[in-house]
Amino acid sequence: MNPEIVPMHRKESLREDGMLFVRTEGIVDTMVKIPLLVASMIIVAAIMPIQSSFSSPRTLDLIIYPDGSTHVSTEIDVDPFATDYELDLFGSTIDNFVAVGENEFLLTSDVIGNFALIETFGSSVISVEYDIHDLVSKQGRVWTFSLDAPSNFTLLLPKNSAIVGMTNLPINMEIVDDKNQLTLSSGNAEINYLFSTIPTIPNVIDPVNPTLTPDYLSYALIGGVVAAAVIGVTIIIRSKQKIVKPIQDQQLTQTAQKIETIDAETIFKLRPDIREDDKEIVKFISDNGGQAFESELRKKFLQPRTTMWRAVKRLERNEIVEIEKKDLQNLVKLRKNMEEEE
Amino acid sequence: MKTLALFTIFVLIFGTVSTSLVGDAYAQKDPNILLRIATQADEQISNQLERSYGNSIPSDVQTLYLQGQTAVVSLKNSLPDDIEQAREDFLMAMKLFKQISKMISEPIEKSTISKSTRVADRDLSSELDRLEKYVENLKTISKKHNTGIIFDEIDQLIESARTQIETETASPEIIDQLKHHVNSIQQKIHDSSSDGTSNRINQFIEKQLKTINKKLTKASDAGATADQIGEAVKLIDQIKSSIENNDIDNAKLVFHELNKLVKNIERSVR
Repeated sequence: MNPEIVPMHRKESLREDGMLFVRTEGIVDTMVKIPLLVASMIIVAAIMPIQSSFSSPRTLDLIIYPDGSTHVSTEIDVDPFATDYELDLFGSTIDNFVAVGENEFLLTSDVIGNFALIETFGSSVISVEYDIHDLVSKQGRVWTFSLDAPSNFTLLLPKNSAIVGMTNLPINMEIVDDKNQLTLSSGNAEINYLFSTIPTIPNVIDPVNPTLTPDYLSYALIGGVVAAAVIGVTIIIRSKQKIVKPIQDQQLTQTAQKIETIDAETIFKLRPDIREDDKEIVKFISDNGGQAFESELRKKFLQPRTTMWRAVKRLERNEIVEIEKKDLQNLVKLRKNMEEEE
Repeated sequence: MKTLALFTIFVLIFGTVSTSLVGDAYAQKDPNILLRIATQADEQISNQLERSYGNSIPSDVQTLYLQGQTAVVSLKNSLPDDIEQAREDFLMAMKLFKQISKMISEPIEKSTISKSTRVADRDLSSELDRLEKYVENLKTISKKHNTGIIFDEIDQLIESARTQIETETASPEIIDQLKHHVNSIQQKIHDSSSDGTSNRINQFIEKQLKTINKKLTKASDAGATADQIGEAVKLIDQIKSSIENNDIDNAKLVFHELNKLVKNIERSVR
């Protein structure tokens, strides 16, 4: 029995390159390679969760209603040390927006165009639900859902809908309450569906697109032509009215400005502690006839959305302006009765 | 050593991009779902063709449909052994069926389901479904905040609207009435929850102020000017005073300004 222990993998090197070289390689193996590998793996392990932690949805579930509107529910990890979180919405026509933090606490939020500013203040997970009208379009009988999803998601299709086109491979499909529910991966997805017809039952009307029988087809065509003519005439009349209207509006605004709004200097006298950058905003609104859209202010002062939003909120707090919703935008108006209140 | 360094870099790069790769490298839980979807689409297209053209299907549509059917047959034969082929067949079949369905469809301009189109042609059932879901959310939040809001009236309205829709006697007014109720409940919840929200924000700001004070001490040691520190201290005092006066909204606004200022100070002494 040989008492000497010789590592098998170094035996060959010993013979070929000598002891000194073998020892160096051994040092590299034991002292450098392994710690480096371990360090690399630790870094990789650390990077992976960070990459997918904040701002990435934990869950994303969508429900399509028969009229093409979509309900979105999502759960998102957010930075617990941040005061607010800017959530990109999947479109700008939003209804019924609700954001809740941990323990179902209602969070103050403001939907501005296609993003929502949610005041998280210490929450690490938020749940958001809203209805959106931008994800489904319709061409003839075919409805098309399209989304660039940030994560895997589930999609519940309407009852009696049948999928007739898909650009992605589904991960799963289940039947939930007689409806198809697909699980899809992140990235661009497009699904075409139409409402199922039952050919065995004669004269069944498609729930979405009633098919006309040949007897009524000619009436429908005549009706269509008449309707198109009426719409055309209305559009022409309206477009003519629009040309006249801005001049009238302008005159009205100018008059109103003279009568109702107070000038910027008076506001500065009434509110001497107002910030310099806020003064510029007030001056611009005043010059603009006493009102301006928040988007116009952003363009004018080249400010990010959140910064301008805060500035406007600050002015609102100081009772200098009031904010109105108009065409899904924030209309910022100088308050008319500042002097009276003073 | 060079090899080792390259290997390390490779590991790091792979680690960084691996998360995005995971998204693409998915797998069906059950590959048969591909066949189920494709078969359903095939049947649907077949029905649509019969409805639209009867026995005189245009040759180009017929050709596409036959190609689609062939892809479905191939998909069926590929399962369960050749998953890769099955996936290709599925995507091919669905692409062809989509093309056919668009050809069958009337040549109407593409329209997005926007709010304006809804007004012209409102689907009251969908609107009610959405509102009902929203009310359920509000109920949960209301319960959590102990608002004491009673939802009986709105529940009855929903029930009544549902019945009217089922019997086709519903008018848009009932949905508008519901929306009005929902808005008032939402406002009540908002008012009731404001105390809890204020406390939460209060606690958060107080906690963050401690951290900011530490940052300012550090910045002062690192050479921040007395003016910079003084300005920050002034804002801190303003926040504390706002909190004392229960003016949380103002405290929030000033806190944002303070955060910005502290970041600038930190940047200037770096």
